[in-house]
Amino acid sequence: MKFAVTKEALLDGLQRIQNVVSTRSTLPVLTNALLETTETGVRLTTTDLEVAIRCEITAQVEKAGATTLPARRLASIVRELPASEITIETDAKNISTLRCGSSYFKIFGLAKDEFPAFPSFKEAKTYTIKQSELKDGLRKTSYAISVDETRYVLNGILFSFKENKLTLVATDGRRLALFDSDLEFPRSHERDFIVPTKAITELQRLLSDDGELQISVAENLVSFELNGSQLVSKLVEGNYPNYRQVIPGEAKERVTIEREALLNCVRRVSLLSSDKTSSVRINFTKNNLDITANTPEVGEARESLAVVYRGRDISIAFNPEFLLDPLRNLANDEIHIELIDEMSPGVIKINTPFLYVIMPMRVSV
Amino acid sequence: MTSNCGQIWTSVSEVIRQRISADGFERWFQGVTVASDDGTKLVLGVPNPIHQFFIESNYLPLVQDAVAEIMGSPRKVQFCAVGSEDTTPVMASHLPSQPSSRATIRERAQVPVSSGMNPRNTFDTFVVGSNNQFAHSAALAIAKTPAKTYNPFFVYGGSGLGKTHLLQAIGHYVIQNQKSAKVVYLSSEQFTNEFIDAIQHGSLVKFRKKYRSADVLMIDDIQFLAGKERSQEEFFHTFNALHDGHKQIVLSSDRPASEIEKLEHRLVSRFEWGMTAELQPPDVETRIAILKKKAESLSIALEPWVIEFLADRIRNNVRRLEGALMRVASYKSLSDREITRDAIENLLRDIFQEQARRAVTIEQIQRKVAEQYDVRLADMTSKRRPANIAFPRQIAMYLSRELTKSSLSDIGDAFGGKDHGTVIHACKLVKRRLEEDEQTRHIVRLLDTQLQR
Repeated sequence: MKFAVTKEALLDGLQRIQNVVSTRSTLPVLTNALLETTETGVRLTTTDLEVAIRCEITAQVEKAGATTLPARRLASIVRELPASEITIETDAKNISTLRCGSSYFKIFGLAKDEFPAFPSFKEAKTYTIKQSELKDGLRKTSYAISVDETRYVLNGILFSFKENKLTLVATDGRRLALFDSDLEFPRSHERDFIVPTKAITELQRLLSDDGELQISVAENLVSFELNGSQLVSKLVEGNYPNYRQVIPGEAKERVTIEREALLNCVRRVSLLSSDKTSSVRINFTKNNLDITANTPEVGEARESLAVVYRGRDISIAFNPEFLLDPLRNLANDEIHIELIDEMSPGVIKINTPFLYVIMPMRVSV
Repeated sequence: MTSNCGQIWTSVSEVIRQRISADGFERWFQGVTVASDDGTKLVLGVPNPIHQFFIESNYLPLVQDAVAEIMGSPRKVQFCAVGSEDTTPVMASHLPSQPSSRATIRERAQVPVSSGMNPRNTFDTFVVGSNNQFAHSAALAIAKTPAKTYNPFFVYGGSGLGKTHLLQAIGHYVIQNQKSAKVVYLSSEQFTNEFIDAIQHGSLVKFRKKYRSADVLMIDDIQFLAGKERSQEEFFHTFNALHDGHKQIVLSSDRPASEIEKLEHRLVSRFEWGMTAELQPPDVETRIAILKKKAESLSIALEPWVIEFLADRIRNNVRRLEGALMRVASYKSLSDREITRDAIENLLRDIFQEQARRAVTIEQIQRKVAEQYDVRLADMTSKRRPANIAFPRQIAMYLSRELTKSSLSDIGDAFGGKDHGTVIHACKLVKRRLEEDEQTRHIVRLLDTQLQR
């Protein structure tokens, strides 16, 4: 195999795919990236057997072929190279030489045959969606994914294609984030599936603000095709629990608050919430919002925020991190908080279809 | 589901209803039932896994309190999904279950074999002799009443003398007699590895929970913690948590705690806090007993002289003793030939050679001691008696007495024609100093191991 490629193109390709490689793998070949020549360039692939990702870069192919090279090492080398034009040549023993200006590298690779085959798709259902839309949806939900491995069905985001809507849901048992987006697809394509956390992280890295992407889903695999890259992941097995159960009924009190002001207040106050039972208390009184935290023998903090509020006085405690997550990841200037009473979950909404349910901390009982 | 279960839930839910909002109760506790109750754990049937996730995360302390209040004693609360088409298994208890924890045995794990402990290592198979009788009785006392008698229990001794056997015997005994006890057995290396893993994956809480919830924690080969500062610190806290919670801790090492280098003092002092027992090499009678027991358990028939011969020739290591027995037995069964003394000599020559190399001479001892104390070799045989020469000479005499088969007068001769009374006096003096003085004990032990290498 022999090809010439620009440093920018190769580095861009490697950066798209290199995060998938496992650092501690039982199979040495999984730390490598597969390089294959195509008619117009070179295709780069990495996989950890759960998630596989590949992308194509333009290159001048002199001699067709394929090999695998250590992905991270290759990326660090390419990043440091002095000139723009890179030539990579591989001999029959999978030893590759990399030339660039005055630099010369010899890298030992592994045979292409050892690399797992890229998953193939049969009888897949395909959806087309705007990248910006999905990017927005993932940003607004992915922070609520559970990290508790015993609840493995929650270790991912639910993609629910129902009634011409795509609903994304993430929850960890203490809060729940839900995002809705209108989407045209045939009735036969209605389906629920769970995309694991790692695939979500990689997908977020690949998504840009323009263009569309194609989502294809088969029995136990999902594929995302965008910007000349393809990401394939196994689905989380099992059914997502009935998340509708979590969403509270009609709210008694509703208040609109400036997002950034609230974010800053909560962040400051949380500095004085104790590590163990970390909580901040939110007190609504007439046209005023007090946020307080105190830790015995450490101290206390209070912030006041002027709001338009005419409901009854409510004081409710939340985990500050759970309150901060949506505030950080939403882009709107204003958010709406809906409350029922001290013991019932709070809801954060914005003017577009999004919902965040946060369970109160039972500090006083 | 019995009506009894139904009643339990009615009363429990009444308590819960008073403590949370109506909406919260309606949403999460409507439709929950009691699936079973066996006195220690209560299984709640929930309509959907989402109920389990949210009750666990938000209301578990409340449910536990309510259950304890109604039933008079606390229960473990577990969940199972019933009456839903959702087939996701949700039998996980509220304790973080660790599918990969080979080192833990839980009540639910019916097969204690998976605990990383060898099922053969029980008290029944442990041969007691004068060399290990003390350690054995202490271990037995601990197994009978964990955390009540000696805590921590620190057992040390050379390789192949039964430390691991004793530890695992305690584990097996406890599991057998207290089904609900959580016994954790692992090597200190495993502890370190899991600790590193926990740091890397940020799962320290899970790691701590695993060890700090043990009823009996047994760590083998604790000397490998030496030099691993963070592991030591973590272990220090684990130790305190368990000790304060009156949980049994059992540790083994190949040397006394005070002689493990690079082990923090606070750990050393804690290890020496409870009971310390030493395992010594078995005497010849015990060795014969061990061989007989082993031969019996493997159904090997061997002539008494073979067993005596092996017991006589292999002294310091039970594991090696058993290995030799196996070798002789398999030779016998495979070759069909009569076993002769020569055949055994030939078969086990590598083991015997190693043993033979340990035969030390008085001259080697003198040289080594002179080197250690930085005195001239000639001083060993001279008649000069300043303390800085006389004491090393006495140590050398003591070691000669212990390590060689020479008679008192032979030793006296080798030290420049001293009288046998002088040798006896030297031995007595050194023995007394060994009991009283840490420094001397350390040096003599060092010399001893160096000479026997």
